[in-house]
Amino acid sequence: MEIALIGNPNTGKTSLFNNLTGSYEYVGNWSGVTVEKKVGVFKNNKGRLIDLPGVYSLNPLSKDEGVVTSFFLKEPVDRLLNILDASQLERNLHLTLQLLEYEKPALIGLNMVDVATKRGIQIDTEKLSQILGVPVVPVVARSGKGCDRLIEVISTSSNHSKVKRHVYYGNAVEDAINKIGIELIGKTDHSPRWLAIQLFEGNDYVKSYLSDLVEAHKLETLITQLESVVINEYNNVKSLANYIYVKRKEVIEKILKASVQKMKTSEPLSEKIDAIVTNRYLGMPIFLLCMYLMFMLTFDWLGTPLSDVLDGLLTGPVTIGFESILNAINASDFIHALIIEGLIAGVGGVLVFVPQIFILFFFISLLEDSGYMARVALVMDRIMESVGLNGKAFIPMMIGFGCNVPGIMAARTIETPRERLMTILLTPLMSCSARLPVYALFVGAFFVGHKALVVLSLYVLGIVVALILAKIFTKTLLKSETSLFVIELPPYRLPQVQSLWRSTWDKGKGFVRKAGTFIFAGSVFIWLLSYAGPNGLKVDMDDSFLAMIGNLFAPLLEPIGFGTWQAAASLITGFLAKEAIISTMNIIYFVPENASLQGLLSDYFTPLAAYSFMVFILLYIPCLATAATIYKETGSRKWTAFSILYALFIAYILCLVIYQGGKLFGLV
Amino acid sequence: MFGTFKVGEKGIIVNISKVGQMVQRRLLDLGITEGSEVCVKCIMPFGGPVMIESCGQCVGLRRKEACLIEVERV
Repeated sequence: MEIALIGNPNTGKTSLFNNLTGSYEYVGNWSGVTVEKKVGVFKNNKGRLIDLPGVYSLNPLSKDEGVVTSFFLKEPVDRLLNILDASQLERNLHLTLQLLEYEKPALIGLNMVDVATKRGIQIDTEKLSQILGVPVVPVVARSGKGCDRLIEVISTSSNHSKVKRHVYYGNAVEDAINKIGIELIGKTDHSPRWLAIQLFEGNDYVKSYLSDLVEAHKLETLITQLESVVINEYNNVKSLANYIYVKRKEVIEKILKASVQKMKTSEPLSEKIDAIVTNRYLGMPIFLLCMYLMFMLTFDWLGTPLSDVLDGLLTGPVTIGFESILNAINASDFIHALIIEGLIAGVGGVLVFVPQIFILFFFISLLEDSGYMARVALVMDRIMESVGLNGKAFIPMMIGFGCNVPGIMAARTIETPRERLMTILLTPLMSCSARLPVYALFVGAFFVGHKALVVLSLYVLGIVVALILAKIFTKTLLKSETSLFVIELPPYRLPQVQSLWRSTWDKGKGFVRKAGTFIFAGSVFIWLLSYAGPNGLKVDMDDSFLAMIGNLFAPLLEPIGFGTWQAAASLITGFLAKEAIISTMNIIYFVPENASLQGLLSDYFTPLAAYSFMVFILLYIPCLATAATIYKETGSRKWTAFSILYALFIAYILCLVIYQGGKLFGLV
Repeated sequence: MFGTFKVGEKGIIVNISKVGQMVQRRLLDLGITEGSEVCVKCIMPFGGPVMIESCGQCVGLRRKEACLIEVERV
């Protein structure tokens, strides 16, 4: 049995999905967290649950909404589980009425009853269920309360849909629906009534579906005739879509009158918080302060001390432990070197940064869960507008701070194709967590006094470069079309410890897993390249294959401050995954006991070259996974190649300016 | 008109048809249309967006679009 989970954005569908299937998908408190469909199996194995992006209507505006409409048209579904936000019942019911017209057995989960109660809204679920003709189950999606009942009702409620017509659209429209119904006899499995109404509403997906079955001009004439009849008949109606909306609204008002009671309440806390964080003057400073605190905690106050402890553990007891095991089993020199100089250096060098990365992910999760994310979009909109983007584009960028891949996916919620493409192209400039170990290493070596500030400068540089490029792209490649910015600002919610931890862990485990697989394999490979050379095995590293490869590119990097084969080699591996830069460096500059990589680095880099190197790492190329996502989301080889090439170009130019400019000013 | 509203002032939308089609559709999705009561919650500086509230729902939109919405003060 296939059950589709559907509802307005930010009503808790994914929270419920996680609770019903025991899986863990990405949740957050803003509209558009889920941008593609996800499938899970019910805890009691009674069927499959399909989580869909949130929509206000089945007539889509943006790409993530289109996912839902195509799902309804093309894929088999047995039942619908419609989640309603009890505090916004009126607008939620517009979707519900469309779903009921789809004529599949449906079930309603009424979420956020607590929020509604706080606003003085009392809902009679029995009555609502009676009017709509489908079961209504109150749930608390975040905690999982009511989920058992929901599963019970899903598995037991009868398979027969009691088709009940809720909305009578008036004689003219009903006649037209019947005409289309006659045309469609035997041609489709979908409800002809649903198809017809969606068509009248201007749903392009349904239109193209129908034009395969019925001659397009027949539909066109039918719609034009109907529209003129409706507009003539009713004075206040401007279009057919508007008329259908009004008819639904009348029905909804009746439903609400019968099942909902409203009482006066005081101003919600959410609005009091908003008076401060989205304040005219304080909004931007508060955002910057939050970012600053985040970086201080990650790099200075908490993250670095923890990393140091972990580092001590890895270079001390862990290495000694492995040494003694290797000695005990009489391992060959080759195996010994592979494990100590290759794996522990390579993988361990990345794992050391786990504390910092988890702290960063914790803050990103906090941002997502609390409801602040949408406010940031609001606060940033003015700046984004001036470069031809809108505030919503800032959300993918913020997510990109964790990992660029979900950031690029999140761009699906942006309605206009031009802004969406631009956001996809620019998100890789956001400094993702895999780049963070490089900064942590270098600031520890060269900028001890100003760790957080130097790293913050890199993050800000990423944003500034993205904004400048956005302006340039708007003026040249992607000339302006109308921009759209309407954003729903969800009420604040106190993040729960459990869900915060889960979403931090979910993001962080990807990093750990990558260290155990990709970086592990990469470390072995890099170490082999550094161990072997044209003259055989166990060569001096400067004569290894790795050095040969690095030397090919080193002269190019000379003008930007780090023309060594070591830097060149680690940049090449950085295309595979940005963490690989660190593991490569750990292998190349293999550190003898009682010394640290940080100390060793100062033989190879000056502080100015180190900063230039960090800027280069920040900008130079999207990693392999990101490039693949760009290709998947744009569907264009040209734009994927462009995203790689422009990044290389910008990185090189900027580093040239920083390094050569810095030298002119006497910095070293 | 909406453009002259200050933070905290309330009004009822009388005409929304001058706003762009896409924006109109999104606002309609959120239940904001002719006849809705709206309250200005905050106005961002330098011509930035405004935040309005309607039926307990907060929505951010651009100032220039907000100015195209005709609102009658209540």
